[in-house]
Amino acid sequence: MKKAFIFIMAFSVLAMIISISSCSPDACFEETNAFLKASFYLDQTKKLKAPDSLTLYGLNAVGGRIYNKAAKIQPALFPLNPSADTSSFVIKINGVSDTIKFIYRSYPHLISKECGYTFFHDLDTIFYSKNIIDYIFRGNNSITTKNEENIRIFY
Amino acid sequence: MRKTFAYFINFFLLLMPVSSMAQDTVSFPLKIRIGADIAGPGFYMSDKNNLSIEGCVSFDRSEKMAWVAEAGYLDYKYSQYNYNYLSKGWFTRIGVDFNLLKPDISAGKYQAGIGLRYGVSLFSSETPSFRHDNYWGTTTSSIPSRTRMGHFVEVTPGVRAEIFKNFSMGWNLRLKMLVSGGGGKDLRPIYFPGYGSGGKRTAAGISYYITWNIPYRVKTVITKPDAPEEPEDNEEPAVNSNQQRSVF
Repeated sequence: MKKAFIFIMAFSVLAMIISISSCSPDACFEETNAFLKASFYLDQTKKLKAPDSLTLYGLNAVGGRIYNKAAKIQPALFPLNPSADTSSFVIKINGVSDTIKFIYRSYPHLISKECGYTFFHDLDTIFYSKNIIDYIFRGNNSITTKNEENIRIFY
Repeated sequence: MRKTFAYFINFFLLLMPVSSMAQDTVSFPLKIRIGADIAGPGFYMSDKNNLSIEGCVSFDRSEKMAWVAEAGYLDYKYSQYNYNYLSKGWFTRIGVDFNLLKPDISAGKYQAGIGLRYGVSLFSSETPSFRHDNYWGTTTSSIPSRTRMGHFVEVTPGVRAEIFKNFSMGWNLRLKMLVSGGGGKDLRPIYFPGYGSGGKRTAAGISYYITWNIPYRVKTVITKPDAPEEPEDNEEPAVNSNQQRSVF
């Protein structure tokens, strides 16, 4: 019986040490931003085609340019502002500029204990100018951290 | 008819001594156990943000099986660089424990086995503040307190030994699977009573119980004697002297 008691005590101490050490916070390795994902299509062929040059930035944003004359971007990631219900972007495709305005609803989402919370969005309406963009096709309105296409930009 | 009855009785009288010779019996005390977990308060000594108190009652149905009911309270606080989280509430688990020890070894004092539990938790959780950084800058927000209900199932292997008369100590590992955390897919609770980390589909924990045992009945349990070992026949079959072994 004494042996059994010692065994129980030893195992318990070991289990407690493991449990306490497992309580230490882990690093966050998951995607913490929900981007609107836009694929580019050539309107003439209706086939997937990344622009030769892409520049993208938010109107009145503090973050500067998201892409600056970048090549082969497919899909483009549009970060939406969770503090507002609209976000406007200037998009320059192969040197020609257009403006896109997204209207949406934001809601909090728990990523994990390690990463904390982010905002997901439900896309409501899109307004855009048509200098180089022919039209925008809306696919999945749910904007999350998943790698799912939300809109198709035909140019 | 009377003669037939007499033969019948005699036949059983003849059998009885034979059957009692083939079986041993053990007096097994069936008990009601009332216990308290000391692992929760132990962890609280090292982490003042996590207070977990729980107790259990079990009732031996037989030498192999006991009904178990557990209940407890959790007050949990967590804080990291981008959010604060609070969760507090009650939980209860009901289930069974199976003692895998033989009755003559267990003797009502030792237990080694496995248990199954179904757990329900009623709790409130709140995120007083969280911060999110992206291209547009920093957004701060909060999620107000809401009452939720969580459901989970557990498999709990464990051991217990009587250290003093009618007092036992022992531990249970708790391997848990979440059925529902009560927050939908977006606001799963980070931590909730009885289960732990609600963001994960599975979780593990440990309970270390001190129990007071109250014997309520002594059961006579028939133990089967070990089957006599059959002599192993390792000898090679005799080879007929007239036969020749083939060699390849």
